[in-house]
Amino acid sequence: MTTSPPPGFTQTRLIDPFELHVGPVFERGEKGARTFALLIDERHVNMRGVIHGGMLMTFADASLGQAAWDACDHANCVTLNMQTQFLAPAKAGDLVEVTPVLTRRTRSLIFLRGDFTVGGEAIFSASSVWKILGQD
Amino acid sequence: MYAGPFWRLPPDGPVYRYALVPEEKHMNCNGSLHGGMLMTFADISMSQTSRAASGAESCSTVSLTCDFVGPGKMGDVIESHVRVTRQTRTMIFLSADIVAGDRVIGIATGLWKIV
Repeated sequence: MTTSPPPGFTQTRLIDPFELHVGPVFERGEKGARTFALLIDERHVNMRGVIHGGMLMTFADASLGQAAWDACDHANCVTLNMQTQFLAPAKAGDLVEVTPVLTRRTRSLIFLRGDFTVGGEAIFSASSVWKILGQD
Repeated sequence: MYAGPFWRLPPDGPVYRYALVPEEKHMNCNGSLHGGMLMTFADISMSQTSRAASGAESCSTVSLTCDFVGPGKMGDVIESHVRVTRQTRTMIFLSADIVAGDRVIGIATGLWKIV
């Protein structure tokens, strides 16, 4: 789907087929401190017009995954665990933003969290653990 | 449903069952089921179970935690087996095993608000 980036953002280069299917995702900022954004459209909402929980978790997996990728110099890494909290609804037309925070990185694990906001108000939060493949 | 389709299977005693047949659009670049897709399937199957168990018209996800135990692949039939841990007047606690045949690929627990 083609959507113009919001002012100040560029389109994130996605490679996973599922992310290409539900995207685009936008970003701004430098490697390791990128802010990601999702512009909610009618594909992403449930019958009440509110963004689907699965879509928010998918955006969390994609954006925290990009931050994990930054943290391990583009090694292959996979999600081991994700914990999510749904704080408030967001609707079509809303821009959801997150700046993932690197909590800790070990040789084989990456800990990341993110607060997701619309217009500065928190709507969703996630924390996650990632495994860098090939590292014991 | 843009991320689906999803299938409802007959319950097995207290276990509510749903199925997903992965397509190319559901995968990541490693050829495994995308984590976001696995969580979407968990959320949908557990939300459906919340509604079925409570009889409520709609239930909202309050929190969901997922462990990614193993990969799901093209050709697998992926099932979500959902159990109600506890139901109160306003809240439902659920757990789900996401399986491919006899292999567990994900474990999810979550909390739903009866709306």
